[in-house]
Amino acid sequence: MNQKKTFTEENEISGNFSFFRMLVMYLLICGIGVTLLLISFNTLIRNHDKKLTGEICSLVTEKMNNSIRYMTSAAENMSAVLSAQDCHDLQNLYLTLSQENHAKNYLSIGFIDNEQNIYASPVELDEFQKWGLLETAMLADPVSISAPYRSSTTGQSVYTIFVDFTYNHGKKGYLFLTYPLKEIQTMAYTESLTEDTEIWLMEAASDNIIQCAGSNAYAIGSWNNALLSMRMQINTSDQNDYIQWKNQMNAGEKTAGMTYHIGKTTYTQVYSKIDFMYGWYVVVRIPSSSLSSAIQQFRQSVMLFLSVLLVATLILFIVSHKREMEEKRVLENLSIRDPLTAVMNRRAFDTMAGKYLAKTPKPKAVLLFMDVDYFKQVNDRFGHDAGDRILKEFSALLRELFGEISYISRYGGDEFVLLVRSADTEDINARLTQLQNQAKQIKPCDNPEEYGDFQLTFSCGAAEYSEKTGNLQQLEANADHALYIVKENGRKHFRWYENPELETH
Amino acid sequence: MKRMLAGVLSVLIGCVCLTGCHEPVQEVKPAPEFMPLNEIIDGRKNIYLIVKVLENSSYWQVIMDGAKDAGNALDCNIYYSGSYVETDWASHERLLDEAMTKGADAILLAPDDSVNLSEKIDEIYQAGVPLVLIDTIANTDHYAVCYMTDNLMAGQNAAEEMLSLLEKQGNSSEDSVQVGIQVGATSSLTIIERLAGFFQYWSKHAPPNWEVIPEIQCNEGDAEKALACAETLLAYPNVKGVFGANNGSTVGFAQVIKEHRRNDVAIVGFDYSEEIAELITNEEYTASTILQKQYDMGYVGTETALSLIQGEEMPVKFVDTGVVIVNRETIQQEDVQEALSHN
Repeated sequence: MNQKKTFTEENEISGNFSFFRMLVMYLLICGIGVTLLLISFNTLIRNHDKKLTGEICSLVTEKMNNSIRYMTSAAENMSAVLSAQDCHDLQNLYLTLSQENHAKNYLSIGFIDNEQNIYASPVELDEFQKWGLLETAMLADPVSISAPYRSSTTGQSVYTIFVDFTYNHGKKGYLFLTYPLKEIQTMAYTESLTEDTEIWLMEAASDNIIQCAGSNAYAIGSWNNALLSMRMQINTSDQNDYIQWKNQMNAGEKTAGMTYHIGKTTYTQVYSKIDFMYGWYVVVRIPSSSLSSAIQQFRQSVMLFLSVLLVATLILFIVSHKREMEEKRVLENLSIRDPLTAVMNRRAFDTMAGKYLAKTPKPKAVLLFMDVDYFKQVNDRFGHDAGDRILKEFSALLRELFGEISYISRYGGDEFVLLVRSADTEDINARLTQLQNQAKQIKPCDNPEEYGDFQLTFSCGAAEYSEKTGNLQQLEANADHALYIVKENGRKHFRWYENPELETH
Repeated sequence: MKRMLAGVLSVLIGCVCLTGCHEPVQEVKPAPEFMPLNEIIDGRKNIYLIVKVLENSSYWQVIMDGAKDAGNALDCNIYYSGSYVETDWASHERLLDEAMTKGADAILLAPDDSVNLSEKIDEIYQAGVPLVLIDTIANTDHYAVCYMTDNLMAGQNAAEEMLSLLEKQGNSSEDSVQVGIQVGATSSLTIIERLAGFFQYWSKHAPPNWEVIPEIQCNEGDAEKALACAETLLAYPNVKGVFGANNGSTVGFAQVIKEHRRNDVAIVGFDYSEEIAELITNEEYTASTILQKQYDMGYVGTETALSLIQGEEMPVKFVDTGVVIVNRETIQQEDVQEALSHN
């Protein structure tokens, strides 16, 4: 408690330097700096992502379209060769080609003649019926591609490319090749794409989508509906943008892009029309964040570095402050403390008391002037060490009883002066009475036989600070006067200046 | 001052350490261990059946009936188990491991999740145990054969039936007609394919003035939610038809339609629950349901599993077991009665 008080006194003497304010300022400045850095990083990342995702989406859709075109070109080339051969017997041609064992990327091959007879396996004939594939074939001019459907033979999604050709002296027929949907998925795959890049085939009229690429390899090839899996997920604020994007698709525009949010994630989404797969589009979606992983890693590294720097400077700041304070405390102790009793010396007391009394409005205060009674005799009888012991223990008692509310000083020898920062005379009287009682317990040595009936007493003069009291010197003079009267009257008591009714024993 | 200091420090730490939040995981009752479906006799082949919903589902009971009848007729032991909620694919993963540990000769699986279970299905395939899928296909090639409804086609059938019912109700192509759709678990490929099939047919054949309400309702397999979803859709001003893409959604619609006597709304659903049967047989309402042939899935699936154990190979990987459309006009037809006899 006293230690804490002493610290405050020293602060008051040395001015109101606040380490904590400086610390808070430092942390605030660091916090603002870090926040600004984060904001600028995030803005940089967002701008970078928006620009790049749009470009990548466009590139991927173009790549997909080129690949599908390449595939249909292969079918067209085959059709050209067959037309040039002018085959007469389609059944025979079907049997020859369908049983060929050479490596091929299509699952099956077949023909449709000019009377719409289909040359295919029984399972495929059922599929023609089930999925209305003949209608798609009739759209071929020169090529058409069916919507994906589930193949009985493989259990997986497939699609069929139809190409018109001529046979038997110019009769018009159709060649068809069935491919696994995975062929398109393979085309969609690009090693440089991040896992978060999603690619779908989308039918404009039905909103149906089929996933071609995405983070979950097993989800690839699955059907969904964009109303359920896409539109309903988008934040309400972006719904209109999505509807506008979809309307562009419905209107048959070749390509369009948009940016929307799902939760806090920003997505860029671009579609592009697929040639010959009528009503179908390639849709590519990339979350903006996926592209910026490198920058994000860099941001994390910078943040980590800054955090370490901040903690290090903080520790350095606190340690150096502590050392400085310790040094200051030692130095100040040497200059303001009485080395024997650890209470203030006269100079420090005068400064503190002067500062306190100079406050406006005039503060409440009482000055106590104390003398240890017959101190010289103590020295003579028990020696100087005993005298020092008496002074130390008496000043400790003063700190215990008055430390919280007073500035305490040793003026020299056996004289102590206290400036009590209160004018509660009853309380002060009570404390003085307690001091009288407890002082009696102070002994010059440990041996009872040696100190016998020794009882420590003190004399005290008290003066209250008032409007009439001019300054500290005047207050001290008043208290000294009261002390003089006490001494004149046999010591061991305390007395208030010009206030005889408060005198007590 | 210390509080201020702590506050500033926590702000700084907050700036530096960006941590994510984890949503609480809803706990579901795990699937029980395998139980015998028929009399277990030593020396017979052991086939393990894993269904999607173990209790309170007439649909899955019929599949188990089919497997049990096949087990008795073809002389093999059938063990069965399954999840309590059809989104609990983690239980299926565990059951597949258990079946392997117990030395299954073949497994019949109705996968709870076509995507998430694919990896485990690949493992079973690598281990060489014949795996027959029923009801739902998985997004992998590594199974012997799948007996199921072609749900894309079933969805098309549902849309065709919906258009037919709306016309029968007297809606002309000039009228503004809205159709509401409710689905169950959005992770179920079965349901999503039905939805896609429905849209595929609807987009080609529905009059331009007839629209599907874009806010598709998802009940995620929760019966209470299914009722709330039905209420939401039936509140649309021009709603003249509702489509339930699975049994739970259909039951939800049927209950709300009956409760509010909404005989102006046609309903097309899936499976033959008591609720939809009541609307079909009541002349006041216009209702149809698509009935799968799930008994066949259980029976033929078991039969095929035995063939595969004996080393036979399947010529195809996908067999559409087909559907029948049940409404007041078709209910007496022989194929419909045959399908209904197993429900």
